[in-house]
Amino acid sequence: MPEHKDISPPELIKDRGSLHPINHMKDSVMELLTTIGFEIVDGPEIETEKFNFDMLNIKKSHPARQMHDTFYVENKSNLLRTHTSPVQIRGMLEKKPPLAFISGGKVYRKDDDATHLPMFHQVEGIYVDENVSFAQLKDLIYKIIYSLFGDNIELRFRPSYFPFTEPSAEVDILSKEGKWLEILGCGLVNPIVLNNCNIDSNKYSGLAFGLGIERMAMLKHGVTDIREFYKSNLDFLSQFK
Amino acid sequence: MKIAYSHLSQHIIENPSIEQISDRLFQLGHEHEIQNGIFDFEFTPNRGDCLSINGLLRDLAIFYTVAHNQDIYTKKIDSLQLDFENLSENICPKISFLKLEIESIPDIYKDCLNDYFTDLSLNRNNFFTDISNYLSYEAGQPTHCYDADLIEGKLIFKELSEDKEFETLLEKKIKLKGKNPTFLLNNEVINLAGVVGGKSTACSLDTKTVIVECAYFQPEAIIGKSVKYDIQSEASHKFERGVDPECHEFVLRRFIKLVDEHTNIKSMSLISYNYIDAPIHQIPVNVQKINQIIGIDISEGDYLDYLIKLGFVIETGSIKVPSYRSDIKTQNDLAEEVARVIGYDNISRLKIKIPKSKKQSYKDIENKLRYFLLDNGFYEVINSPFVNIASKEAIKVDNPLDSSREFLRTNVTNSLLENLLFNERRQKDSIKLFEISDIYFSDVNISKKRKLSIIASGRIGLNYEDFSKKINKKYLIRLFKKILPNQDLEFKIISRDSLNTKVTSEIISIEIDIESLSNEVLSYKEISKPPKLFNQYNLISEQPCSFKDISYSIKDYKKTKELQELLLNYSNDILKNVFIFDYFYNENKEEIKIGFRFTFQNKNITLTSAEIDVVYNDIIKISLGIEGVTIPGI
Repeated sequence: MPEHKDISPPELIKDRGSLHPINHMKDSVMELLTTIGFEIVDGPEIETEKFNFDMLNIKKSHPARQMHDTFYVENKSNLLRTHTSPVQIRGMLEKKPPLAFISGGKVYRKDDDATHLPMFHQVEGIYVDENVSFAQLKDLIYKIIYSLFGDNIELRFRPSYFPFTEPSAEVDILSKEGKWLEILGCGLVNPIVLNNCNIDSNKYSGLAFGLGIERMAMLKHGVTDIREFYKSNLDFLSQFK
Repeated sequence: MKIAYSHLSQHIIENPSIEQISDRLFQLGHEHEIQNGIFDFEFTPNRGDCLSINGLLRDLAIFYTVAHNQDIYTKKIDSLQLDFENLSENICPKISFLKLEIESIPDIYKDCLNDYFTDLSLNRNNFFTDISNYLSYEAGQPTHCYDADLIEGKLIFKELSEDKEFETLLEKKIKLKGKNPTFLLNNEVINLAGVVGGKSTACSLDTKTVIVECAYFQPEAIIGKSVKYDIQSEASHKFERGVDPECHEFVLRRFIKLVDEHTNIKSMSLISYNYIDAPIHQIPVNVQKINQIIGIDISEGDYLDYLIKLGFVIETGSIKVPSYRSDIKTQNDLAEEVARVIGYDNISRLKIKIPKSKKQSYKDIENKLRYFLLDNGFYEVINSPFVNIASKEAIKVDNPLDSSREFLRTNVTNSLLENLLFNERRQKDSIKLFEISDIYFSDVNISKKRKLSIIASGRIGLNYEDFSKKINKKYLIRLFKKILPNQDLEFKIISRDSLNTKVTSEIISIEIDIESLSNEVLSYKEISKPPKLFNQYNLISEQPCSFKDISYSIKDYKKTKELQELLLNYSNDILKNVFIFDYFYNENKEEIKIGFRFTFQNKNITLTSAEIDVVYNDIIKISLGIEGVTIPGI
């Protein structure tokens, strides 16, 4: 007879599931931005040309509006939003400054290769108030990048072009391998966009920024092929608990 | 666009190194790579003015002393008598034609023309086309060369609205459809304006008399044409982004000069048509506004000095924008110019304080559901909305990627079913998935529903309590009663009859409108937390798994924990996973039965039985080393 009578069963290890790493990344960014002061706004994935392009100063002739870049639906009456910016337009039309919105979700572009997918995720933010400057935008971007990648990360700002911001910038971070990696786009809201939203651009100015969630998740998790996120492979998903 | 370092630096007095120029170009926003002394640029679409040597030099003039050294023909030129009519002046508000006849065709190219072909390893075409291509590279203005002997009849520029056949000078036959800006000769298209010329009037190696067309086309009329007809065209790349409407005189006189440097010109004549004046943009001088936009404090003197160096003209109280800068219209545009000159990275941060909005709760119904499902072993997935199933209410994509993605899905369950079968094929025997997504329907208007879809099949869990239990409706109903005690959910069994699978486990699914769920969900206390760290991903093996089960009999209860610790922490490159799938205390025999399942998989190769047995035997050997632990049958 054994002396020890402890026959209690082994610890029951129940398998927990996991959030999708893209949703987790998106939630993390949104959570961070709400702590900075941004309010979450939501909008439809099926949009009109007016909100997706016109109100954002994207001219009729802009290449992004072509059939080879944008998915149109229902005989071109609508389109699949190509960015989350239309949500901010809707927000600006509803609320007067000062305002600080973020929106996150799925966006669609007519791409499909090893580095681009027809569906991906963005988080975009906008802040409109009196005397918002490019120097303040830089401060905000530093705060965001430092929160996501740590205070030691090196970053640089490059002039860029977006029809809805002026000046516009792209921000790169320096990877461990010494390579500059593009991480987000930003700029001061183009006064034309403010005026389109009935905001007096002589009185108010704004800043805006947008991050590609897949890109961030790939960098943070070390995933090299964007397609892995959407295979729904349990061997993949179970790594992100 | 490729531009050789030497072609830029020869015009810069300070003779900067390639690295110095590269740094300056990055500061100005001209992204590029460098290979063997050649810059390969990716210009932003608003900077069509930079698509040339002269364009970049105009920007670099902010940092360096630029001497263009580009001679032009300066003498008077006879007027060209040309039978030409412009029927679409709004699309082509300005156009010039130069007719040149030469004595002989040169064999050897000199100076900059030779450098262009040699340094960029380009193939020559014919003399006039080569000069045209070079000039586009140097000055940014594409020109088109017609063999003058082949232009007989009235030349017409017109935005064509009828379908027409057209053969390009690269002998590609295309069918023009929709609206296309074209040059017509005797009602035949001889040039798809701004994109590519036609074969019928193209210059050849023997051409000695040329008509050079130099035009400004509205970008809106050119955009999308090269993609539509699958034509690689540097000219359209430039016209789409906007060329300088005021450069024709310089470009055509430079054309003559280059020809003159290579051969004798027998005759020349020129005509320019200016139908609509190019707009002149004037912006008030307002350095306070510039300082406010950027968040700096520069003097008006410094501000205007920057702009003058970039080619802006300061007139009383206003800034005249040069004709090549069609992107500059507002104070914000000017602010960007100043910011580029200072360098974005040299602009100091100014502390920002955004007033806090009311704290938003993330603990809404949707998130409670997500964490409830996580706590019960479900994995969240995200699927593409594009499908090939045309249900009555499905929204049709006008321009799908392919015929298998012509519609937007009207349910999430089908996507989850594909995910489930994918994982079954990968030998997964416990699959629990969910997705939350907006679903869109075509009705009178487009309508949207936010859906939660769940699918599950196989074992309830990979632990000794759940391993032998199969997922069924009863299990899921009982599970959801924990979070929605007063709501009856209708789980469905998906038949495997039409599925190409040998697995027999029941597939249970449900698709719910999130809005229909009661607030009872909000009282759920979740166990799972969002991960604090971002785990580093390990590459997934595509090789098959092998499973081995070992059942132990233990008389000495004290040894149970020792065995668990040994086996659950056993590590080997090919051992992917281990868990306890069975535990039983036999009171009569006073012994514990405990079963472990081992999963083997290699990252690169399919494992052989012998390779697995090496590890398997080692596991048996070390586990039997624990006194009182036996394996029945061994």
